[in-house]
Amino acid sequence: MVKTASVTDKPIQLRVFPYRMLQPQTAEKILNEIDQVKGVSRMLVSGKNLPRKVTCGPGTGSDVNHPDRVIIHVGGCAFELHVIVGDIYVEVDDESAIEGVRAACERALPFPFELKRGHFIKRKPTLTDFGKYGFKSKTDESINLEDERILGLTDPHAKLETNLCLVKSEENS
Amino acid sequence: MAYKPQYYPGNTSVAKNRRKHMSDDVEKLRDISDEDLTAILGHRAPGSDYPSTHPPLAEMGEPDCPVREVVEPTPGAAAGDRVRYSQFADSMYNAPAVPYWRSYHAAINFRGVDPGTLSGRQVNEMRERDLEEYTKRQAETEITDWGLAGLRGCTVHGHSLRLQEDGTMFDMLDRRRLEGGVIVMDKDQVGVPIDRKVNLGKPISESEAAKRTTIYRVDNVPFRSDKEVVEHVQRVWELRTKYGFQPKA
Repeated sequence: MVKTASVTDKPIQLRVFPYRMLQPQTAEKILNEIDQVKGVSRMLVSGKNLPRKVTCGPGTGSDVNHPDRVIIHVGGCAFELHVIVGDIYVEVDDESAIEGVRAACERALPFPFELKRGHFIKRKPTLTDFGKYGFKSKTDESINLEDERILGLTDPHAKLETNLCLVKSEENS
Repeated sequence: MAYKPQYYPGNTSVAKNRRKHMSDDVEKLRDISDEDLTAILGHRAPGSDYPSTHPPLAEMGEPDCPVREVVEPTPGAAAGDRVRYSQFADSMYNAPAVPYWRSYHAAINFRGVDPGTLSGRQVNEMRERDLEEYTKRQAETEITDWGLAGLRGCTVHGHSLRLQEDGTMFDMLDRRRLEGGVIVMDKDQVGVPIDRKVNLGKPISESEAAKRTTIYRVDNVPFRSDKEVVEHVQRVWELRTKYGFQPKA
């Protein structure tokens, strides 16, 4: 029998919506606070692009040098912010982590925010993902990935190295 | 009795501000030098001559035309300046102006203007020296708060976004930013670096912005709270509908 199912469980997804666009220092603080919460499995940072160069108009090609495009450290992992952080999507394993995420946001944000529960990050691979990674084998039609949690965290056409930050938990390291 | 234009109905602060913008009865809040303004517009080097597209009208020998005799050319048209543009984006978080009111201000109070009104930005084309006069007026007065607005020739994105933590509107190209309590601009309106930091003054506070805005918002002055304005808008819509209705056509 051909195996097709990729995702069996349905973790809880949350959207943190601060009332202001976050500066890198605040973004770093909130991401680290959320990272400390037990049960958080994935985080996705979303916001408005901070381009390296001017991409349209008479100034095309000029360097932007946006001061918010800096390297931040989350869970011991450094990565460059490509966006001004607007929303943070968080996936947690169980209900008990929701209040932990809320408390983390309250500690990190000096202004109000919304915390909503819903479906925000991809839970199962799409055609584009299968096109990129393929099937595991002829008899196993699940996606050819060791860890399916990376699905939905980046654009399928984007380079993973510059957009994805893998933080190992203490038990696994 | 002398005629006094009635620009806009309503008794709320927003309606009063709208009248002020339309009538150009606006408060000057800051000084921006001519050279700085030329630099941030980016159309010519500060201090250089105005390039022209045709000889001055006085030298051209214009044809006999009663309209030309009645209408006095603007200084820019008379000198044969190029047509150039300036474009502003205003945040929907209580920015003092909105694109429509920038257009009203330009079209009512200046001559030789071609305002373009879009949802989040307003572009204005004029002869170069006329444009500088108009832009200076908008940039120095309460029509523009540089924290909640920006001179953006391209990549205008920001008007509908949440504000940044420092209370300013997001600028993808980082043309202007808050530095030491004042807004400074070190790029021209299309994002090309300029040789100076132009001081655009202090941004107004959140409460002051709420008082000076021309935007009706449910969290400030709701549109429906101004009965006279609602009545006026409904009357305009009713008449437009009736006048367009032609049963025999």
